[in-house]
Amino acid sequence: MMEMFNNYEVVKHFPVIAVMGLFLFAFLIEIFGAKCKIIRNTLTLIATGGAFALILGLIPMVFGEGNVISYWMGDWKPVAGYAIGIGYEVDALSLFFGLLVSGTFFLSSIYSIKYMSRDHHLGHYYTLFLMLSGSVLGLVLTGDIFNMFVMIEIMTFASVALTAFRNKKGIALEAGFKYLILGSIGSSLVLAGIAVLYMQCHTLNMAQISSIIGGAGLNPSLVFAFALMFAGFGVKSYIVPFHTPAADAYMAAPSSISMVFSGMVNKAGVYALIRLTYTIFNAMDIPAVNILLVTLGAITMFIGVTMALAQHDFKRLLAFHSISQIGYVITAIGLGTALGLSSGLFHAMNHTMFKGLLFLCAGAVFYATGTTDLDKLGGLSKRMPKTTICFLIGAFSISGLPPFNGFASKWMIYQSVYAKGVESGNFAYIFATIVALVVSVMTLASFIKVTQAVFFGQLPDKLKDTKEVPFAMRLPMWIMSGLCILSGVFYRFVDVNVLYPVRNAAFGVKNYISSMLGGEAAAAASNVSSEEFFTLWDPKLWLILFAIVLLAVCIVVLLGDKTLGAVRKNKASEESDGKYATFFGGEKSTHSHVAGSDLFWGFKKDFKGYFKFMQGMHSGSVNDYALYVVVGTALIVATMFIFVL
Amino acid sequence: MIIVNYIVSVALIALGLFAVCTKKNLIKIVLGLGIIDYGINLMIVSIGYVPGGTAPVYTLSDFANFVSVSFVDPVPQALTLTSIVIGACVDALALSLVIMIYRKYKTVNADEVRRIRG
Repeated sequence: MMEMFNNYEVVKHFPVIAVMGLFLFAFLIEIFGAKCKIIRNTLTLIATGGAFALILGLIPMVFGEGNVISYWMGDWKPVAGYAIGIGYEVDALSLFFGLLVSGTFFLSSIYSIKYMSRDHHLGHYYTLFLMLSGSVLGLVLTGDIFNMFVMIEIMTFASVALTAFRNKKGIALEAGFKYLILGSIGSSLVLAGIAVLYMQCHTLNMAQISSIIGGAGLNPSLVFAFALMFAGFGVKSYIVPFHTPAADAYMAAPSSISMVFSGMVNKAGVYALIRLTYTIFNAMDIPAVNILLVTLGAITMFIGVTMALAQHDFKRLLAFHSISQIGYVITAIGLGTALGLSSGLFHAMNHTMFKGLLFLCAGAVFYATGTTDLDKLGGLSKRMPKTTICFLIGAFSISGLPPFNGFASKWMIYQSVYAKGVESGNFAYIFATIVALVVSVMTLASFIKVTQAVFFGQLPDKLKDTKEVPFAMRLPMWIMSGLCILSGVFYRFVDVNVLYPVRNAAFGVKNYISSMLGGEAAAAASNVSSEEFFTLWDPKLWLILFAIVLLAVCIVVLLGDKTLGAVRKNKASEESDGKYATFFGGEKSTHSHVAGSDLFWGFKKDFKGYFKFMQGMHSGSVNDYALYVVVGTALIVATMFIFVL
Repeated sequence: MIIVNYIVSVALIALGLFAVCTKKNLIKIVLGLGIIDYGINLMIVSIGYVPGGTAPVYTLSDFANFVSVSFVDPVPQALTLTSIVIGACVDALALSLVIMIYRKYKTVNADEVRRIRG
């Protein structure tokens, strides 16, 4: 049996069977499973479980022996080093994301069976679900850039239809429509980029394009293509200013779908960005690209977390945290260093686990109570203790508390960004480190608020007879919780066995090209090999940084505005708000007027201008959102032309 | 002649983006998306064009006799076909969503279809 996994001729068919199988089963469900529940569930589990098993079967070949699997559709092999057919190419980077995709979809399908059981037209649901999983898996495994575009489009359609699946609610339709408009603009940008790229290279194979660009260098057309595709994939990974449809869609979709959206669909955009910058254009040596990615990442994480603080819906809050965590990943991969890339990938993996877990908990709360509004929830820890434990594990992970996995990856990210700043002497990286630290603190604050609002505090009378969710829904939650703890405790194991080959694959462009097209085509590309494991554990630099921050805070407090307290008191007397009366009014009060969902009202009050501005920016108008995409794209194109050429 | 194609395609893309960003009617926004698609399709078809080229069909005798064959690049045409199909799907899905939105909200004005915000 084990022989099979070491036989290249057998193993090379696995990726294409996994992708095709998912698409085939999607239509089988529509034919046979529309009426019968048992057939439908069996087919779904076979398809997602089978795909997961096939992708797992690639591990000995790709991670173990360091091979790159190349498969040509219809056996149209390259002639004289020139690609003709459509190729699938699975190196360690593709496999890493492929594992995350298939694992997430498998867990989500287990969860769906119970969670979706109260909805109607489930045949369509599972058809779309399998279409989505097939397209995301195809996207990360393919070696052909137009195939990637087609997969992106299928992904967008399936995502939109699933977002609007509960179409009894107006907001689901509205979110679906916005998602479709912005997603289509993003796909159009990618397609325009591909067209310009084809004009220059006359091929669609990624390895071949990489080899041609490596030999000829960049010209204005290629830079333009790069900028367009960069913006297009940016829309797919929901970095600010392209993030607006994500927050709506994650909120309106069923939780099992929010989990795969947040866990994998935006990660597919991140994968495409890594492929674009590291493999196809080999652009990570250009400082402007690094700075652009780090800047976008820092802005994304800051705006994501501050918007999350202002939310009153459980799932919308999680959606903004999801955007914020993608900012960490983008920042880390934008560094272009070995440590940066491995920390970014590690955080992407951890984010899939803990954010998936948190969305499943939100789904469990919705299943049990029928609402996700933070103002209506409270005190559920007594009624749903097991869900509460899972939620706490997820919340600790995302907030970066040791020993959970979020701590390990965030710690690596701080170090890698800081090291890059020291290395290059550029203050922007140091600033990004500070932003990352501040955002982590705000994430913790935000999750204290959610925990207080949903699981602790007073139990509203309406929710007195809430029950714990069934075992079939808890099982994926326990698995994800276990993974969160395991990957946090054994981070060293993950680094050596998983991240090291993946990082080498991302940097080893030469190997990627030669295994697809033969050695000659690879000669032009540069090859950066990276041997070191993460060794940067020097706490002295950190002590200095913390000392500076502490000193700054002390100076502000001691020398700053002496009238701070007085001003607030005056304001309080003018306010008719009950919240202030609790603290400044002087009357005896039996309970606090500050609800759990509004725990940080003081913070929000102090930065009222900022929050008002940001909430105004998220106006809900699809025109505004489209305008942000156009402006963001224009800025990216302009940056590329000014600094890269 | 081909330069005209590029100018028109860029103009179409710009026009489509303008429509998506400024028009308040949801159906007009969907039309704007369609126009962006047409612009890109025109650009892709123009890439493969060779002046004086024939249809990309040739026989082995052409090569055996060293007849210089000049034909247009077939790959962009295939890409355009795929892209047109995808564009049709986008329009269909978007318009069906607009119909559903109209039933729920009783309006197709983008300024009123914004219950999710902030």
